[in-house]
Amino acid sequence: MSAPYPRRAAVTGIGVVAPNGTNTDTFWKSTREGISVLDRITREGCENLPLRVAGEVRSFEPSSSIEERYLVQTDRFTHFAMAAADFALEDARLGDADAEASPFSLGVVTAAGSGGGEFGQRELQQLWGKGSRFVGPYQSIAWFYAASTGQISIRRGFKGPCSVVAADEAGGLDALAHAARAVRRGTDVIVAGSTEAPLAPYSMVCQLGYEELSIVQDPARAYRPFTDDACGFVPAEGGAMLVVEDETSARERGARVRASVAGHAATFTGASRWELSREGLAQAVRGALDEAGCAPEEIDVVFADALGVPEADRAEALAIADVLGTHGRRVPVTAPKTGIGRGYCAAPVLDVAAAVLAMEHGLIPPTPNVFDISHDLDLVTVRARAAELRTALVLSRGLMGSNTALVLRHGAAEAS
Amino acid sequence: MSAQITVEELAELMKKAAGVTVAPQDLQQRYDSGFDALGIDSLGLLGIVGELENRHGTPMPPDAERCKTPRQFLDLVNTTLMAGA
Repeated sequence: MSAPYPRRAAVTGIGVVAPNGTNTDTFWKSTREGISVLDRITREGCENLPLRVAGEVRSFEPSSSIEERYLVQTDRFTHFAMAAADFALEDARLGDADAEASPFSLGVVTAAGSGGGEFGQRELQQLWGKGSRFVGPYQSIAWFYAASTGQISIRRGFKGPCSVVAADEAGGLDALAHAARAVRRGTDVIVAGSTEAPLAPYSMVCQLGYEELSIVQDPARAYRPFTDDACGFVPAEGGAMLVVEDETSARERGARVRASVAGHAATFTGASRWELSREGLAQAVRGALDEAGCAPEEIDVVFADALGVPEADRAEALAIADVLGTHGRRVPVTAPKTGIGRGYCAAPVLDVAAAVLAMEHGLIPPTPNVFDISHDLDLVTVRARAAELRTALVLSRGLMGSNTALVLRHGAAEAS
Repeated sequence: MSAQITVEELAELMKKAAGVTVAPQDLQQRYDSGFDALGIDSLGLLGIVGELENRHGTPMPPDAERCKTPRQFLDLVNTTLMAGA
């Protein structure tokens, strides 16, 4: 099928279920104000593990927005995904009538780091506690990392391209790039993003093996990247879904084009080899700038990966300098995730949501809990900084070695 | 445990295993509508069968999870339970 015009991928809807807000408005207000919601983990069965601090989503009531049969069939990470997808579609003014009219023009792409750990634990306890006859059949789909894509497409009646990206934490950005490619190839709308629910006993025990995990017990000191006190990262749950849509058809139906997905590239440098991530991340940034046709000086803000491990922080600061040159020392850098934690694949998608909102409001949100920067970066701390933002660069690295960069442009793409 | 499955018990199992709430009197009126129309997919019916087997300590015939309607299903499982009693 040949397109009559060059198809561009635009963001037309944002849906957020995050530790600092279970809708986009609250998320943005808390992010803008630099409020940290990191706190002691309160989830049942998690109180006596060495991991004490995380970003919990506490004010989310799944049954208020999701039908009971989907609640029974799915894990918490899919509850987040279904709710975030609803918010994003509503924000983009896409309803059930659109799916009924042309189901094959709507698809879903998600990324997931681990899948439905809480559901899986419950059923495995049935298996070993009572026997295989007591394992519910929905176990076969609920704990699978692909569950959210499948359930969103079923629940919303989407029959267009559906996929799941399993690419480490940076896969959250790769999912958005995958959605953009699907749009450029001819699908009108892709709901894309990531949500995670890693705060359950079994899932938490799995994370204890990560040497990058912070086990500091004081929420204000547990996650402080780019400082001398960096001691690892704090995990989080929740996430975001975005509507990625063909820009022209979005405009034709009167939707608001909030941002363009302009460039993306991904590299791989191996698990926990943080020194090597300097080159891997730099190469990803070069690739993303190249695809976006964007000069380094055009980047107005960087949303950093900000792992909080000294070696990794150094590699990221150097990667930014390597590619952006002298501009790398001037460009404002921020990491709002220090206030909510890192939700694995969901973390960079929340950064993309924050970046789009930051460009719309002309305001760079700060990096909570971070004060004395020990790297040559202009990190935005304490309070939000006003700035005209046309282009944002979002960075993400995974613990298993993926490095991804995504370039976003404010509003509609400029004709080039 | 009663040897026969009532419509009330089926309604309760549908809620527990598949998350589908239908009042027993409504279910009685929809005896011949498909499980799919009631919102129960194949995994949901499989879960209902598994729960019944555990409660009654009796295996159900493989056709139980292939039943299309509540009437078919209740006829089959009750015949099975009667035979095993």
